[in-house]
Amino acid sequence: MDGAPTNNQVNNSIKNIFVLVKQVPDWSVKAGINPDGTIDRAKAKRMMNPFDKFALQAALHTKEKFGGKVSVISMGPPAAEEVLLEAIEHGADDAWLLSDRRLAASDTLATSYALYKTVQYLQPFDLIFCGLQTTDGDTAQVGPSLAERLDIPQISYCEDFKIEDGKLVARRVIEGGYQWVRSQLPALITIANSYHHLEYKTIRGAKLVQDLLRQPEEKSKLVKVVNLDEIKADPILCGLKGSPTIVARTDKVSEIGGNCKIHQGHSADQMVYEITQQTNILEFVK
Amino acid sequence: MSEENTEKKETVQLKEIITPSNKEVIIVAEQVDGIIQNVTFELLGAGRLLADKLGGKLACFLLGNNFTDQGAQLIAKGADKVYVADHVELKDYRALPFKKVIVDWISNFNPPPHIMLMGSTTSGRDLAPRIASYFQTGLTADCTELDIGPYEHVNKMDPDKLGYYPGCLYAIRPSFGESLKARILGPWKNPQMATARPGVMIPLEYDANRKGEIIPVPVNLSAKELQVEIIEIVREINQTVNLGEAEVIVAGGFGVGTAEGFQLIRELAACFENSAVGASRKVVDLGWIPYQHQIGQTGKTVRSKVYIACGISGAIQHRVGMDKSNLIIAINKDPDAPIFKFANQGIVGDVSVVLPEMIKQLKAGKKSSPELALV
Ligand SMILES: Cc1cc2nc3c(=O)[nH]c(=O)nc-3n(C[C@H](O)[C@H](O)[C@H](O)COP(=O)(O)OP(=O)(O)OC[C@H]3O[C@@H](n4cnc5c(N)ncnc54)[C@H](O)[C@@H]3O)c2cc1C
Ligand SMILES: Nc1ncnc2c1ncn2[C@@H]1O[C@H](COP(=O)(O)O)[C@@H](O)[C@H]1O
Repeated sequence: MDGAPTNNQVNNSIKNIFVLVKQVPDWSVKAGINPDGTIDRAKAKRMMNPFDKFALQAALHTKEKFGGKVSVISMGPPAAEEVLLEAIEHGADDAWLLSDRRLAASDTLATSYALYKTVQYLQPFDLIFCGLQTTDGDTAQVGPSLAERLDIPQISYCEDFKIEDGKLVARRVIEGGYQWVRSQLPALITIANSYHHLEYKTIRGAKLVQDLLRQPEEKSKLVKVVNLDEIKADPILCGLKGSPTIVARTDKVSEIGGNCKIHQGHSADQMVYEITQQTNILEFVK
Repeated sequence: MSEENTEKKETVQLKEIITPSNKEVIIVAEQVDGIIQNVTFELLGAGRLLADKLGGKLACFLLGNNFTDQGAQLIAKGADKVYVADHVELKDYRALPFKKVIVDWISNFNPPPHIMLMGSTTSGRDLAPRIASYFQTGLTADCTELDIGPYEHVNKMDPDKLGYYPGCLYAIRPSFGESLKARILGPWKNPQMATARPGVMIPLEYDANRKGEIIPVPVNLSAKELQVEIIEIVREINQTVNLGEAEVIVAGGFGVGTAEGFQLIRELAACFENSAVGASRKVVDLGWIPYQHQIGQTGKTVRSKVYIACGISGAIQHRVGMDKSNLIIAINKDPDAPIFKFANQGIVGDVSVVLPEMIKQLKAGKKSSPELALV
């Protein structure tokens, strides 16, 4: 293993690291947005959830410093394989995709159940990394929910961490500051966007994925697709049936604060002048 | 979608279903060093309306150590009952012991409470999913409105849930980057849970005559709940930067470019009589400016008369700290930056060009408007 620990004491070494990544619509591409503001999933471009990139980087850092194998896990349609391959390009060791039609319309409780069964199927593990939240679900609930199911501690809003004397020492964001906590392992960590950005793809990873794309058989050895039956999940607890909440209605919000007066395309002096004329800003000047 | 619905409504005879509950609404309080946080008072305000609509009681769950008059404060701010867990291991928030005490207590309720609410803060968003997962109940994140109302479930794909449900929690939240509002509900299981965004709900007036009951809650913790220890807590807010009082705040973000670039922000701020310099978290993290200047969810919340956001994208965590300002002027080179969705005035341009011009014109002042070629 290229990530084997060198000088670390044995008790700090980590064996199995899981990182949970989700594929989400890329909103910056306008083609995927319906006139009423909803997502046109067919047309939308897809990307790795931005917070999960921080989580992936945290997992890769852990491997670099303390050893271990990084397995990436995602639940989603077959296309979610794209983000798993991307993770391998960055240095992840293998990947698992839970894909099953019966998972459609899962809320956070049903999602965390399905991910819990996947993690159980793949265990043991020392650390699980999640993103703090997704840009589509946007709840930050899946991580802590999963930790509860696994009956392990979670450190949410984490922005820095290390392994010390066989324990996790982590810094988490709180209102007005931060705190350092120490936790037993195994534990689940949700990574905030104040953690380090995802670094470049590794040459080795990029080459590997290039090769895999040419050899479907090899690919299926590294990116393994499983369904609910394989992980022994109860379909009643998944998808629509397993979700205690539903979205009963959506309304379009008139842009809050409403109508921003945009000044664009003129010279700076012109635009600033317009602002001084259209607002009361000059009243506050010395 | 609407077509589908009407068709189904004709064929389905909806039975009224009332999921058993004691109609109680429970708010989980948030305290820091014994000081009840505003979000709790806001939730009590919202919770009072919900409890009254349901015809139930409003309770508040308070966990911490060495309480004095906090219970009485919560009653004066709207609670009918306060469940108090006072224990040395509960002094500072931690997910595992807080969860244990709450679920132990709530598990005694038969039928269960109707609703349980928390702030959508770094502790509420940490704790709520664990409790919801424990009770296998629904939880909606980050609500901006809460209400009670009926719901008809007509979707035949999910026949077990069909029915007419009165008295559901409507958990309303922005979705899809704030441009849509979703009403999320889950009447099939109680408690129905939600976290609510700080600074949105309206607290009640303090009323010392309000009557309520203070009920001590037992605390049974084992080593398992104590496996996470807090080593250190750093709260950096101090009074050196007067963001709270300033009439005008000039705030800089990553678009300012460099630490040196902040000089322009300071110069612009200096043009005003009563002003302060603000910043986004990103630049604070980069060390361009100290934390005391940070505005947003994990920094300060301000309501200035004028807020000039320079090179700030307008991420939700920044926005919640400043969008109550009277006049928001945004300068950003990206016309699609989210900040333009809620600013009042926007200049699409480079801060390094626009700011010097603004400083020049403001220094020229009220008296003389600059002669401009209006092209
Ligand atoms: C738990 C948590 C808590 C957080 N709390 C806070 C908080 O309290 N406060 C906070 O601010 N953030 C907070 N954040 C971070 C927040 O999500 C954003 O990452 C942050 O606000 C972004 O800062 P920014 O707008 O300066 O940077 P960016 O998002 O990088 O935006 C920079 C903007 O500048 C523009 N720009 C670039 N160059 C120029 C130029 N030359 N001229 C003009 N415009 C230019 C760009 O178009 C862009 O819109 C928090 C995040 C988390 C996860
Ligand atoms: N479908 C999924 N597959 C893998 N991980 C997920 C999935 N949904 C959520 N997660 C993880 O949970 C985190 C929080 O998601 P959310 O609760 O939706 O905001 C994400 O950043 C991911 O790490």
